[in-house]
Amino acid sequence: MSNRINTIAKQTFKAAFNNSATLALTLLLGLSLCLATYVGWQNFKMQNNQRLHYKALVRAQWLAKPDKHPHRMAHYGYLAFREKHELSFFDFGIESFAGVSIFLEAHKQNTVNFSEAGFTNGMLSFGEISVAMVLQLLVPLLIFFLGYNSISAERESGTLKILLCQDVSWKQLLWGKTIGIISVCLSIFIPLILLTILLWASLSHWQISIDSALRLLLLVLTYAIYFFVISAITVLVSAFARSSKSALITLLACWIFFMVIMPRVTQAVGVKIHPSPSKIEFADAIAADVHQQGDSHDPNDPHYAAIKDSLLKAYAVDDVKKLPFNYGGYIMAEGEKITSKIYSKHQNELNKIFEKQNSLTTITGFLNPYLSLKNISMALTASDFNTFVDFQHQAETYRYQLAQKMNKLQIEKISNIKPGDEEKPLAISKANWAEQPDFNYHFKTLDTVLSNELLALSALTFWLLFTVILLQYSTRWIKTI
Amino acid sequence: MKKNRYHLEFKLFFRSSSSWIGIFVLLITGFAGLYFGKAFIAKQQAVIEKAATLQKKNTLNNIDHFGDDIGLVFFHNKFTLANAPDHWAAFANGQRDINPYLISVTMLGLEGQLYDTDINNPVSLLLGNMDLSFVFIFLFPLVIIAFTYNLLSEQKESGIWSLLRAQTNQSFQVIWQKFLVRVVVIFSVALLLLFVAMFYLTLRPDLTFLSVTVLILLYLTFWFALSFFIVSLAKSSNFNASALIAIWVLLCIVIPASFNLFLTRNYPVPEALQNVINQREGYHEKWDMAKEVTMKPFFKHYPQLKKYPFPEKKTFSWYWYYAMQQMGDDQAGASRLAIEKKLASRQYFTNIFALFFPTIQTQLGVNKMAGSDLDTHLSFQQAVRRYHEQIRLHFYPAIFLNQSVNDTDINDYKLQKYNRQEVPTIWMNILSVSLLTTAIIGATAFNLKRFNS
Repeated sequence: MSNRINTIAKQTFKAAFNNSATLALTLLLGLSLCLATYVGWQNFKMQNNQRLHYKALVRAQWLAKPDKHPHRMAHYGYLAFREKHELSFFDFGIESFAGVSIFLEAHKQNTVNFSEAGFTNGMLSFGEISVAMVLQLLVPLLIFFLGYNSISAERESGTLKILLCQDVSWKQLLWGKTIGIISVCLSIFIPLILLTILLWASLSHWQISIDSALRLLLLVLTYAIYFFVISAITVLVSAFARSSKSALITLLACWIFFMVIMPRVTQAVGVKIHPSPSKIEFADAIAADVHQQGDSHDPNDPHYAAIKDSLLKAYAVDDVKKLPFNYGGYIMAEGEKITSKIYSKHQNELNKIFEKQNSLTTITGFLNPYLSLKNISMALTASDFNTFVDFQHQAETYRYQLAQKMNKLQIEKISNIKPGDEEKPLAISKANWAEQPDFNYHFKTLDTVLSNELLALSALTFWLLFTVILLQYSTRWIKTI
Repeated sequence: MKKNRYHLEFKLFFRSSSSWIGIFVLLITGFAGLYFGKAFIAKQQAVIEKAATLQKKNTLNNIDHFGDDIGLVFFHNKFTLANAPDHWAAFANGQRDINPYLISVTMLGLEGQLYDTDINNPVSLLLGNMDLSFVFIFLFPLVIIAFTYNLLSEQKESGIWSLLRAQTNQSFQVIWQKFLVRVVVIFSVALLLLFVAMFYLTLRPDLTFLSVTVLILLYLTFWFALSFFIVSLAKSSNFNASALIAIWVLLCIVIPASFNLFLTRNYPVPEALQNVINQREGYHEKWDMAKEVTMKPFFKHYPQLKKYPFPEKKTFSWYWYYAMQQMGDDQAGASRLAIEKKLASRQYFTNIFALFFPTIQTQLGVNKMAGSDLDTHLSFQQAVRRYHEQIRLHFYPAIFLNQSVNDTDINDYKLQKYNRQEVPTIWMNILSVSLLTTAIIGATAFNLKRFNS
């Protein structure tokens, strides 16, 4: 049984490469893949090195600041740069559409600025070629060209009847053809994976992490499943179609519908159903909440007046100047706590809305294997929405810690008595600055990533099972003539 | 006789269900494009209106909270300039999703505020907008391919062709007539959608409308020419379909996408990151320096402000503070120009490259007319610079003299709308697409000559 499948697969494989057009197309695709990989890798190195360069510069400038008031340092703040995951040269995902740098300062949450997309002139709407894009979009097209007549041509030339008479079962035929077509894909895919591994290892300076290795392994596996699903669909369409021509037209129409039109439409619908607030509405909602909770910059605010009264009572003094610590620092720490809590609440709500917008595209993964693979691939290469949100989150945590660290220094080390209008400002030693650690982004571990992508993973699994079942059991409805 | 034959060809065409499917796909996606494109811009318009009322409210709040200290009012108060969308922006959303259309700035350093982005869902940005220009640029060519790829090969494969050749020596006329019928149908659908767009998006029937229509019809002609060229090679239906789809994938996806990769590689913009650092250092380092380090260059920049007495002895004054902020902008001047230069060279390279690719050319042309391109955004940024400078110069004296806020006209400053001054032209785009189309028609004619002889 498996012997026959093997024979058919080998035959299909050989026949594909005997066709000069297929050979040319396959070689062309392979070549463009290698090129995409190489240039993507170069871009990665260049962009990441720029970010690391500025990261080091920011750190050096921070440490070099002279003695000064800690609150000045809180306003001087920090610049954080979004580092790329070493696998992101494989799949760019949202990389080009997400900002790169964020300014972290006291009292204020800023946006992540300078995305690559902001520097281009509408060209990015055409996409950006990466290994993942070629594998997700173009390899299926190759599979369609390879396999649209895999069964129908046998039928049209009359060899199908002969094959079936010779004790070859439909099941064997379908499996054999599918495996044959996948082998052609693998002849491009395997060298490419080897190249990817090599480049990836060189990016991580030959010190590969287990986490990344597992990510890569899963990538290879999910892409292999995707190719299997597409090949099986192609062979099935060819088996069910009236003619080779109608098989080809059906497959091409599907390609256009599922890969070009559908992603845009589902996302547009998602955005329409779950509208997100604009920046000004977002800021206004936060300001309203802050105002309700208490505004530390407002001298007459009741919340802070109550704090003041209780402090005066607890320390049994009649003026904040007589408190044994810096009162201004204490109030600012309280203000930072309140505002950042409110901000985080709103930011989380916003991210929830974005997730809802994206969920439509994720769920359509059950109708469209391309979308499910796209989500998994972006997640595994850490170029997805969740990673970006996580970066924002870690940056905000760092910002909060920095502000509170400076408030703490002020509370402990700055005199409670303000210098006069013409006196030297209060300051603490620059030795304190080193206590604030550098900002380092930590990527989520693989298990978190996988648990976030359960829906997309189950969509792909569904497709795998669905096509296997079809290959096994749909044969009774196929017409031989 | 001839008229009659066209009549029959039309009948034949409309009898096929695939023709109707093609037309319906275009109409439905076209209407969807119009709907989503308009909804996207309508939301931006609503936000701009809301921003106008919010600015008013916030200014009153700021005066209420910080009114005793004029320097503090202007520390907090934001002035907004909105890039008001043209009606055409609903036709081609372009870069309006990526670039902010509202820029709110305080009187502090501009370079630290100008590049703040909107809050966006990056996945939506990645997958792109659904507007009518998408339908014209991506989907129309596909339906053109579907309508024409088997014009000749179908006749051959069904055996009609040899019959026809035996009966008449004008056999190619038949193919040509079939082709013209399809051109007429596609053009009618395109014109119908443009006509509907005119009413739905309230576009004026002016030169802009004319040039966009011409550009789009030329673009569709390009695809017809290309399709007819492949047909004229007289290969099989399957070959034609595969070849045409491969060309579509190349022109609409692979080439522009590869170009983007090379653009990123050859024209990176590290200047943007450098600019942030320059601005931040330029301002913050002044806190630890003697006041004259700030004030000397400040008075050199604005000699007219020298007449306001600077409180030399005071440890802190708003006068000094705003001058320090100004230093951040001044010290980022060189890197700012470097960004502009880099973006200009990117733009130049893109424009040269686009000359050879009608898909890119048409998209860029339509975006340009719709005012949703990078150029419009950059001029919007320049307008923000001018507005910011005007506000600074207007309010500096009041702050430096420590006047009361109520004596200023801050309440008269409402949200301003930026509208671009001149209507752009797209002659270059039209010329390039028509030249490429002509070249393909030439190649087809050459082919047919060979074919007939």
